[in-house]
Amino acid sequence: MPQSTADNPTVTVDQLQQLIDLVRRGMAAGVPIVDYGVAHGGLGHVPPPRHTRLVQRGGVIEHYDRDFVVRAAAGVAMGQLQATLRETNQFVPLDADTDVTLGEVVGHNVYGPLRVGYGAARDLLLGLRYVDGQGRDIHVGGRTVKNVAGYDVTRFMVGSLGELGLVYEVTLRTSAIPEVGVAVELRVDSLASLDRVMTDLLLGDASPAWVGVHWGGGERVVRLGYFGLPSGCDAQRRALEGFVDRVAGIAFCEWRACSLDQYFDEQAVVRRWRREATALVKLIVPPAVTGAVCEAIRDAWPGDYSPVMIDALPMHGCVFAGGRFDAPVAAKLDQITGALAAEHGGLCVWHARPEGCESIEPFGPVQSDWALLGKIKQAMDPYGLFNPGRFLRGEGVTR
Amino acid sequence: MPRLDEAVDRLRAVVGGEGVLTDAGELLVYECDGLPIAKGLPAAVVFPTDTGQVSRCVRALADCGVEIVPRGSGTGLAGGCVAFDNGVIVSTTRMTRIESIDVENRVAVVQSGVRNLSLNQAVGALGAGGAERLRFSPDPSSQSVATIGGNAATNAGGLNTLRYGATTGHILGLELVLADGSVVRARAGALCDGVGADAAALVCGSEGTLGIITRLWCRLTGAPRHYRTVYAVFGSTGDACDTVSDVIGAGVVPAAMEMLDGAMIRVVEEAFAYGFPPDARALLLVEIDGVDAALDEQLERLVALCHRNGAKEVQQCADEAKRAELWRVRKRAFGAIGRISRSYCTQDACIPRSKLPEAVARIVGIGEKYGLRVSNVFHAGDGNVHPILLFDEDDPRQVQRVLAASQEILEYCIGIGGTITGEHGVGVEKLHLMGKMFNPATLDTFGRIKRVFDPLGRINDGKLVPSGQIRIELVRPIATNVPGGAL
Repeated sequence: MPQSTADNPTVTVDQLQQLIDLVRRGMAAGVPIVDYGVAHGGLGHVPPPRHTRLVQRGGVIEHYDRDFVVRAAAGVAMGQLQATLRETNQFVPLDADTDVTLGEVVGHNVYGPLRVGYGAARDLLLGLRYVDGQGRDIHVGGRTVKNVAGYDVTRFMVGSLGELGLVYEVTLRTSAIPEVGVAVELRVDSLASLDRVMTDLLLGDASPAWVGVHWGGGERVVRLGYFGLPSGCDAQRRALEGFVDRVAGIAFCEWRACSLDQYFDEQAVVRRWRREATALVKLIVPPAVTGAVCEAIRDAWPGDYSPVMIDALPMHGCVFAGGRFDAPVAAKLDQITGALAAEHGGLCVWHARPEGCESIEPFGPVQSDWALLGKIKQAMDPYGLFNPGRFLRGEGVTR
Repeated sequence: MPRLDEAVDRLRAVVGGEGVLTDAGELLVYECDGLPIAKGLPAAVVFPTDTGQVSRCVRALADCGVEIVPRGSGTGLAGGCVAFDNGVIVSTTRMTRIESIDVENRVAVVQSGVRNLSLNQAVGALGAGGAERLRFSPDPSSQSVATIGGNAATNAGGLNTLRYGATTGHILGLELVLADGSVVRARAGALCDGVGADAAALVCGSEGTLGIITRLWCRLTGAPRHYRTVYAVFGSTGDACDTVSDVIGAGVVPAAMEMLDGAMIRVVEEAFAYGFPPDARALLLVEIDGVDAALDEQLERLVALCHRNGAKEVQQCADEAKRAELWRVRKRAFGAIGRISRSYCTQDACIPRSKLPEAVARIVGIGEKYGLRVSNVFHAGDGNVHPILLFDEDDPRQVQRVLAASQEILEYCIGIGGTITGEHGVGVEKLHLMGKMFNPATLDTFGRIKRVFDPLGRINDGKLVPSGQIRIELVRPIATNVPGGAL
C-alpha cells in the first residue's frame, strides 16, 4: 500500500540541528514529518497527503568496547553498525535486515529468533536522544547498564512507531561474538504439539540461543541453534538429543556448524519473503498457543496448497503470516487471524495490506492503554508532527 | 483545603474500619521508608484488598483533595513512599493474592502486594510441569519482604541484574489505578509484545507517581541449576576493579560480580566469620551459571583473569551450603556496618564499568578530603557503586561534610558518564540532582508525562520529578538500623 498519494519532498539528515530545524519548520508550516522506515512502509494507516518524508543517515558515534556499549546515530544501517562492532569482536544481538536503520529497529521493536538467548531491543537499550514535538533535544537514559533516574522514556519509546519523537541517537548493549555456533533442524509432526514442550526445552540444558519456524508448506521444521564455547555447544547437543528421544513427534533432521555470520545470512534469506509480501499480518498470542495458531491458519486452506507463508517465534508467541496475494485472500486471512486473536487474547498488526484492503483494520483488538498512549502522544508531540494518524491520535487510536 | 475527615469516612466505607489506620502511634511506622531522614506522618493509612477497592479509595481521596501516596513494604531507600503533605498512604500489603501461575506461558499474575520471595516459593511449590525450574528473576536483597509492586515501581535491581536484568525486563504487563480512580491495563496478558509505545515500561521505575500498580503479569524464566562460585582476594581495590573490567571485556557475563573493600571485609568477617582473609584489601565474589559442562571452561578463564590482575588467592565454594552462606553474607553486609559506625550514608551511583578503577580511587579521595571514612560494597559487574560514608550523626559538622561529600561523589559520577541512581531511585533524596542529570527540556517532558497520568498532582507528587509543589529538606544523611535497607 503506498505511503501517500501526494508528491512530497524527502529530506535526508545526519545532524541534530538539521532535525531540530526540520521540526521547527514543520511546526511553523503545519507540515508533518513522516518516517515509516524501509521495512515497515505498510504498517499502520497511510500518512496525511501533505508531509515531509524523512530519511536519517549516520554512523557509530562512540563504541565503549570494554563496557560492551555502543552509541550510534539512529540513522546508521544495521549492516554498517554490525560491521563496525565486528572490528572488536562484538555485535548487536538483534535480528534485523542490514539496510534497516537502528532507529527503525527501536521504533518498530524489531526482533527475531535471537530474542530467546539475547532479549529484544527493550532489553538492550540504555539511552536515547530524540527531538520532541517542539524541536527540543531530549536525553533519556544514559550509557550505564543500570539507571533509574527519571521516567524510563527510553524503553517506553521501543515500538512507538516513530510517533512520539525523532530519535537520532541510540545507546545500547553489545555482546561478544560467540566462538562457535551450531544450527539444528527438527522435524515435528504438528506445530501444535511443539507448544507443550517449549517450556521444557527452555528450562533444560538444551535451552537454545535462537528458535524459529519458517513454514511455506510441506514438512514442519523447527530451526534452532546454540552459540558459545565449544564445550557448551557439545553439551547442549547431547542434551537436545536426550530431549528429542523423550518427546514423541519430534525428530532430528540436521545438525551442523553455524557461525554468527552464517546465522545472520540465513535468517536474512528466511525473512526476505516478508519484505516482498503484498499482505502480511503479525499475530501476537500467548507463547503456548503459537504452534496451534500456525496450524489453524494453514488449516483454513484445505489441501496441500496454501498461499500463506508463516514465520513464527514459538518462545514468544509471534506469528507472521502472509504472502503475495490479492484482496480476497487477505480479507480471509484477516478474518482468521482476527478470530484467533480474539480467542487467545492476542493482537493483530498488519504490516502490509494489498490494494483494495483499506477496510482491514491495521491494529486490533483495541487495548486498554491505547487511549492513554494517545494522550501521551498529545503531550510529547502537541502539533501532531510525527507520523500522524499512523496509530495514535490525541485522544486515542486512529480508526 | 483537603477534607480529611470526610476522606477517612469514605475510606472506611470502602474497606471497613479494620482497613484504615488513623491512630498516631500506629501511623509512626509509616512516617519513613529506608531513608529515615525524610519523614512525614501520614494522616491515615488504608489497606485495600483488590483493584476495585483501590479505585474507590483513590476516587474518595481525590474527591476530598487529599494527597495519595502508594506504598508496598516500605523498603525503598529514597523517601519515595512517604506522605509529606498530610496525605494518606494507600498500602498494597493486603493485596497478596497470586492469581495464577501459567507454566506453559511462563507467566504469573499477582496482586501488587505479593512479596517477591512468596512468588518464588509458590512457583517452586508447584513442583510439576517444570515449575520447580522457573523463577521470578529480580532478586533485590530485600526480596523476603519487598512487594512485587514495589519492585516494579522502583525497577528494583539485585545481585543477578548483571546477567538477568532489572525488574522492568520481567514485567510483561500491569494494571494501574490512575489519579481519577480509573483503571488501565498496560500490556496486560501473557503476550511478549504489544502495539505502540510500551506503557508498562514507562510505569516501571516511576516510583508510584503515575498511579497505583494493583496487578502484574510477571515473566518467569528458567532458574539456573548449575553454578560455579568463587571469591578472589586482591591486594588493592584497583586490581579488583581492573579484573571486573577485564572479565566483562573478555565477553564473560557472570550472574553476579560483587566487590568488597578492605574495611568491609573486616566488618563482614567479624560479623559472620565466613573465612575471608582479614588482611585482604579487596574481594571479588563472582558467580557464573549455565550448562554444567561449559562452566569449567569459563571458570578457568575467570580465574586466569583474576591471577593476571594480581589476585593473591582464588577460592571456589566447595558446596551448595558454602555458596548459599557466601551470598547470605553479602546480602547482610550492610547490616554489619553498625559494628564500626553509629551512622552511615550510602550512595547509589552507577558508572561505566571500565571507569571503576579510577572512580573507586576518586571516591576514597573525596572521603579523605572531607575527613570521612568511606567503605565500599557494591555490584561491581554493573558498575553500580555504593560508597558508604561513616560518621557520627550527633556531630553537625560531620553531617554537613557527609552531605557535601555525597554531592561531590554523585557529581563526579555524572561527569564520567554515570547516573545519580542505579537502583535506589530518586524519591525525594536526589530530586536536587535531577537538574544536573537532565536538561530542562527533558525534565519538562517528565512533567508532561506526569500530568497525562495525574493532571492535578494527586498521586505521590514531588517525588522523582521536581515539581516545585513540595520541598523536602533533608537535614541528615541516612542513619543506623535502616529497616529493610539491604542492598
